[in-house]
Amino acid sequence: MQSVISGILVGGVYALIGIGLTIIFGVMRIINFAQGELLMLGMYATWIVFSWLGIDPFLSIVITAPLLFLWGAFLQKTIINRVLNALPQNQILLTIGLGLIMSNSIMLAFTSDYRILTTSYSSSSFSVGGISISQPLLYAFLITAAITGALYWFLLKTDTGQAIRATAQDRDAAQLMGINVKAMSVLAFGLGSALAGVAGALISPTYYIFPQVGSAFTLKAFVIVVLGGMGSVIGATLGGLIIGVTESLSAVYIASGLKELVTFVLFLGLLLFKPSGLLGKTRA
Amino acid sequence: MDRPPLLSRAPRGFSVLGLVLFVAAVAALWAFPSFVKKPYVLHMGVVLFLAIIQGQAWNVVGGYAGQYSVGHAAYFGIGAYVTTMLLELNKIAPWIGIWAAIAAAVALSLVIGSITFRLRGPYFVLASISVAEIIRLAALHFKDFTRGAEGFLLSDIPALKIGATEIEFFTKRPFYFAALGLAVITIVANYLVQHSKLGYYFQAIREDQDAAHSLGINPAFYKNVALAISAAFTAWAGGFYAMFVKFIDPNTVFGLDVSVQFVLICIIGGIGTILGPVIGAMVLVPLSEVLRNPKGLVQLGILSSDSGFVRFVEANLSNAHLLVYGILVVIVILFAPEGVLGVIRRIAARVRRTAARGRTEPAATA
Repeated sequence: MQSVISGILVGGVYALIGIGLTIIFGVMRIINFAQGELLMLGMYATWIVFSWLGIDPFLSIVITAPLLFLWGAFLQKTIINRVLNALPQNQILLTIGLGLIMSNSIMLAFTSDYRILTTSYSSSSFSVGGISISQPLLYAFLITAAITGALYWFLLKTDTGQAIRATAQDRDAAQLMGINVKAMSVLAFGLGSALAGVAGALISPTYYIFPQVGSAFTLKAFVIVVLGGMGSVIGATLGGLIIGVTESLSAVYIASGLKELVTFVLFLGLLLFKPSGLLGKTRA
Repeated sequence: MDRPPLLSRAPRGFSVLGLVLFVAAVAALWAFPSFVKKPYVLHMGVVLFLAIIQGQAWNVVGGYAGQYSVGHAAYFGIGAYVTTMLLELNKIAPWIGIWAAIAAAVALSLVIGSITFRLRGPYFVLASISVAEIIRLAALHFKDFTRGAEGFLLSDIPALKIGATEIEFFTKRPFYFAALGLAVITIVANYLVQHSKLGYYFQAIREDQDAAHSLGINPAFYKNVALAISAAFTAWAGGFYAMFVKFIDPNTVFGLDVSVQFVLICIIGGIGTILGPVIGAMVLVPLSEVLRNPKGLVQLGILSSDSGFVRFVEANLSNAHLLVYGILVVIVILFAPEGVLGVIRRIAARVRRTAARGRTEPAATA
């Protein structure tokens, strides 16, 4: 039970990374391999704001989110936009390249040292009915839930949100309906980056911060998104929770060093039997 | 999705000029160490040949068969680990151990292929990455078997006895000749594959898997054959790498950046061609080696040891040399998706067109 709870808490943040990725994929049909690096940038932004200005990591998302939004929008407008019609393999390689540039630039700026962000509540926890709940993880989960809720509202109720969903459903038809598809792509990439940045901010009190931290999260984000069905926001939420719980359980019952390995094996198995994901429609 | 045209749609027939140039280049490279004895140059040569082998190996499955594996670190690492462990734990010399490594990699490729080749496009790419990651994580975890993150530091490699002559493996020189030999074999093998029925099957699958299937080519089977050939040469490169560098750990041989390097060599040069990986290696290796170890330029006498460039690179770039990889990928994919070779061919075609127009124009006006 203990591990299920902590799995769900971590899974919530995973879901946030996955949702960012799935929005980008949905609107642009591009698999963003730099998603984890965007998260890493979010972690560093949080760390800087915390250690220089003393702003709490959970409050700093009001800075990190817009920052990462602008960065993502910039990347999409100047670089990613040019490969929209290229081979998917080339798109993947391009985003891997962008990820390498981001992580290595951070390494130049901040060296490869591990950094820790210690808040007053970093290691404290609540105890509810014999189950201890880590404070930073609980806060992170609650904020994630709030953001996910706001995002659903945005995508379902606002005009812009509907335009994004329309673009995701059918680019050409959306364009014919007078939706500015290019603007939607910039918006989607910005949004996806901002979500990765927020996730980075939320996990920074509990994870080591170093330039290469991103690649593990990129792969995890894919597992989550493919698990839920590429392009499905609800699927990504579900996928995040499943991966969080799976990791947490395998850390306890198998070995903590193997929790990621178990995730990948699960992922491969799913790819084989249901490549469209748990909630995805079968699509070639 | 629209496919931009790839190079070498129909490989041209046997070219005498090509063969003469190839033999001349190999002869020149073979004679090279007699004139230039600087260890740094020979080191660079070895790394270059190794990159050519890597590129050619990936080309078989990625270039001809069109299956963009981003998990070749799996075979590279298996090659490195099997060769190393046989030498370190069982005292089996690498020129024997390497065959076991190749066999292991081919066996692994058959398993991986039968799982991942059912997937297409981005799903295949993701699956290939996951497999390499699974192996890397396993190698890190099962310490009793692999020594985990500690890795293997190699002791000396025994001398190779051929008849009365003994070849030692202490200096860079024997490695240079060995790497050159392996690269030549790999290139020739690639040429033979490309021009065989097998190669045409691979390319048919690359162009249109369903059409190839309807013509009686079994895509799953031939993709597996392509991967097995590719894995064999990749393991070859991995085993050689381990012997040359004398240190391996899971992150340096199974890491994602190793897999990316395979693709990068081909992408930079030109995918699906013999010359592509050679050009790709010639672009990538000097760049990354100079940034990794700028002291080499001092050794060559190109720069003095207190030069600003050397100090700058050493202070800032030597642990971030992957930055260059990233920048290269972005530039190539944005501006030359068909690689350097493609750019050269485009320019050559333009020159030929202008020349042809120059010849016909006077006739037209007359």
